[in-house]
Amino acid sequence: MGAPLAEAIARIEGRFGVHAVARGPATERHRDDLVIATGTSLDRVISGGLAAGEPLAFVGPPSVGKLTLALRAVTAAQSQGGMVAWIDPTASFDPLAAERNGVDLERLIVVRARGAHVAVATAAALRSEGFRLVTVDAGEPSLGGISIDDLAPALATVRGSPAALLVVCGARGSRVILPTYVFERVAWERQFERTVAWSFAVGRAHTSDRALFSLRADGTFVDLGTRADLAAVAV
Amino acid sequence: MRDPVTLVVVAREAASLHTQLLATLHTALPRIGVLDPGIFACDLAGTEELLGAPSRVARRVLTRCARLGTRASAGIAPTPFVARVVAERTPPGEVRAVEDGRTYLAPLSLDVLPIDVKVRDELRLLGLRTVGEFAELPRGAVFDRFGSAVARAHALARGEYGDVIRACVPPRRIRARRAWDDAIGSHEQLVFALRIVVDEIARALARDGLAALRLVLRLDREDGGPLRIDRTVLPPTRESAALLRSLRWALEERADLGLVIGCTLEVPEVEPARGRQVGLFAPDGARREEAIATARFLREKLGAGVVLQTRVRDPEARLPERASEWMEVIA
Repeated sequence: MGAPLAEAIARIEGRFGVHAVARGPATERHRDDLVIATGTSLDRVISGGLAAGEPLAFVGPPSVGKLTLALRAVTAAQSQGGMVAWIDPTASFDPLAAERNGVDLERLIVVRARGAHVAVATAAALRSEGFRLVTVDAGEPSLGGISIDDLAPALATVRGSPAALLVVCGARGSRVILPTYVFERVAWERQFERTVAWSFAVGRAHTSDRALFSLRADGTFVDLGTRADLAAVAV
Repeated sequence: MRDPVTLVVVAREAASLHTQLLATLHTALPRIGVLDPGIFACDLAGTEELLGAPSRVARRVLTRCARLGTRASAGIAPTPFVARVVAERTPPGEVRAVEDGRTYLAPLSLDVLPIDVKVRDELRLLGLRTVGEFAELPRGAVFDRFGSAVARAHALARGEYGDVIRACVPPRRIRARRAWDDAIGSHEQLVFALRIVVDEIARALARDGLAALRLVLRLDREDGGPLRIDRTVLPPTRESAALLRSLRWALEERADLGLVIGCTLEVPEVEPARGRQVGLFAPDGARREEAIATARFLREKLGAGVVLQTRVRDPEARLPERASEWMEVIA
């Protein structure tokens, strides 16, 4: 193999992980093995699902539906045969909500690390061969949570990890830039002066494609498809 | 049936050269058993066509021992016990073969038999001085009076009892090496180049059903001395990607690797690989173990009350704290 080709492959692997390049039929198998498909319209927006060895951030205002989709990702990772680590600096993980979303709590480890220990716990989970997905629920910095920037020491371990990293937080980082999917509330549904449901859209900030979901106050989750799907129906 | 032939090599410098001698003998003989430090036995039955006559094999072995600087002698006999007695009574550098073990042992003192001193004294009081006289006693009477251990010695005295030689397999060295024409200066290029070496190691581990517990990487550098990187792999694995990942992290900890022109990757410690097929029956048995190992690490690092598992106790409970319970993953 020529040196320029070796260098090119090394660069690709350096940037996208050791499984990024594979010979022959192994490529497909690797992709299937590594991608966690949530089974929702979100997959069509995030290129098939969350990929092992890659970070991803869900960013949006509180109570918009970030954690619901994160729990869906946890369920999907577990259904593919894997343990999940949930890093929870604000100690706000709700087992009831998780179980409602289909999470197998026996295959979930919750780490209530705080401050600088969040990065330590995240790095350890990413380096382990045992986890399929590592989720960091960053929370609000004012309430004991962390910002994406605080995860910087752990990000070096994402590359080449067998687990995907999903960060759920309120705002983008200023120093650390991750592939970010923005959550926006689209509409409220009210009955008798009370909010009973809301819909929200998920997508990259600089693209127009969005996955749309509806979430009822009782926890019912409805996948509305993508914006393109809705446009087709409207026509 | 094959005629039993046992070769025993007795080295005089037992303790200091034991390991080196064992390694040397492993290269010359099929399967070696260790009787005592510096005393090695090999069952040569049926190997004549392959290796040559036992006496020639023994001479070859003694020549190799002499190259190591040890004074060894060899005995060839039908049973390991007789062969050992013969070897111990043969001058260093010589080989002696005995065909009839009982006849050879008969004139020797009772001291050669593995029996208790008190029993030996009792036998002397009974007027027995030599192994031959002891061997003449009826087996049943010896067993009734002295028990099974002395009855076993009685069988040895008759040259009858063939101890099984518990042979040890020579440890296999799992190692791969590469040399590169063009020096490698960057981490990324080096990781890419190491992939082929790691794949070779992974194949060797898979062939033997082993998992690497420790990796030693030696990098030969153009502009400096060799660099040695020692890496413990936890959990032990034979997966190429996991081994490469471990090496990648070790390399990333070093800012400047210099110009690398070759490498040797060795697995000095292994353990039997855990079967991934466990996952077919108990979902993620292997992965779960690895996750628990990480939880244990975090428990030690972050203290109690941090690494937890939860379960829903009562979904209808009025107080949220009663709806679920939290447990330490590692108590």
